Amino acid sequence: MGKLQRLQGIATARKELDALGIDPFGVQIDGIVSATEGVIAGRATILAGTNNYLGLTFNPECIAAARAALESQGTGTTGSRMANGSYAEHRKLERELAAFYGKRDAIVFSTGYQANLGMISTLAGPDDVAVIDADSHASIYDGCRLGGGEVIRFRHNDAADLAKRMRRLGARARGALIVVEGVYSMLGDRAPLRDIIAVKRQYGAVLLVDEAHSLGVLGDRGRGLCEELGVVADVDYVVGTFSKSLGSTGGFCVSERSDLDLIRYASRPYVFTASLAPATIASTRVALRLLDEGTDLRRRLRENGERLHAGLAALGFRLGAPPGAVVAVVLGDKLAALQFWQRLLEHGVYVNLMVPPATPNGESLLRCSVSAAHTPAQIDAVCAAFAAARRSAA
Amino acid sequence: MDSQEVLAELIGILAPLAKGRAVSPDTELIGDLALESLQIMNLVLAIEDRFDISVPVNALADVRTVGDLAVQIEKQLGHD
Repeated sequence: MGKLQRLQGIATARKELDALGIDPFGVQIDGIVSATEGVIAGRATILAGTNNYLGLTFNPECIAAARAALESQGTGTTGSRMANGSYAEHRKLERELAAFYGKRDAIVFSTGYQANLGMISTLAGPDDVAVIDADSHASIYDGCRLGGGEVIRFRHNDAADLAKRMRRLGARARGALIVVEGVYSMLGDRAPLRDIIAVKRQYGAVLLVDEAHSLGVLGDRGRGLCEELGVVADVDYVVGTFSKSLGSTGGFCVSERSDLDLIRYASRPYVFTASLAPATIASTRVALRLLDEGTDLRRRLRENGERLHAGLAALGFRLGAPPGAVVAVVLGDKLAALQFWQRLLEHGVYVNLMVPPATPNGESLLRCSVSAAHTPAQIDAVCAAFAAARRSAA
Repeated sequence: MDSQEVLAELIGILAPLAKGRAVSPDTELIGDLALESLQIMNLVLAIEDRFDISVPVNALADVRTVGDLAVQIEKQLGHD
């Protein structure tokens, strides 16, 4: 399929949306009132689809640190760390991330996407094998493509299928890179990490876990699923993002392995990208401390997730996974999901519309993500909007 | 299992999805059988189990026809 044909397909899909008067992928938020409220099309709107899990985007300490760094270090680094040098604060953040996980070292990347791209493309090169969960995020698939190794998929969250794939690899299983996510973003379901670690051990493989949606959410100190299950030491590379629980932008990898520092020199998404701006590093460092201390934030996040899950379940909606920070309503039909999403917006609630091929099993979803900053009244208002949107569909 | 046997087995697996249309090595999975990406993925998973192989994701990018898929299966079975 050529470029023109591909873009023609997109143009056709856009035309279908235009005919419906719905623009789910071009929403403009005219004003941000707080971590949980915005203004969309002149309407006060509860934001329930922003992955702002701990609600730290308006935290006064984070803002003050960012402001101070902005004034003392300027607006940007204007280049990559390899070419322009690292600011002392880049290294401080890396050491703090490593200490947080109790690992030897960390690398900071400019986005969460690039953290996966940079790590996986370097760890799974032309003569290597990457074995990845079939429902992996695009950044994992793209990292594999950039690396140019052999890529094997296993059935989503199925450790037995992973074991089968490892057996089929024969001697090549040793040293193969297994990649999973702690929490999968679409449905909010968790990886069977203990079983996956058992397979990794059996075959002498290497394990990378992307905790993008579990950092700050799971584990006593918020280190993610690997902490919650007590397996931090069994994961070779933990990848995460700053753009969800830490309320800024950027990504990282921590590892006990001595090769991590060499990856810096080989990872093209690290070498050839401008480094994070001082204000971003500064707010992230404060947010990491607040995340570590944030037992109360996690309790509120968990309560909000349970409240939303229970409320929507009581209304009879089909939900994608047990309660968590992500609550996905499975609607199935794409047109029904589009129209439902639009009505939610009209009722003052913003969630994520997710349609195939990004979704599992080819089903369309209305994906909600809750925040520690949501009030119980806001969660109830989200449930009420779902009920009202369904009524107006009937 | 030789090439003809792989092809025959593959056509047997595809027949229920073909809705009565004849399946040959030249049949295109998307163009002729109108399979969607999810169906193709599930189909590949089933084929992998049937032959006890894993077809790399990279190799699937070149697969358009039933014959292309048979070639990849043979490759994994070590026939090449």
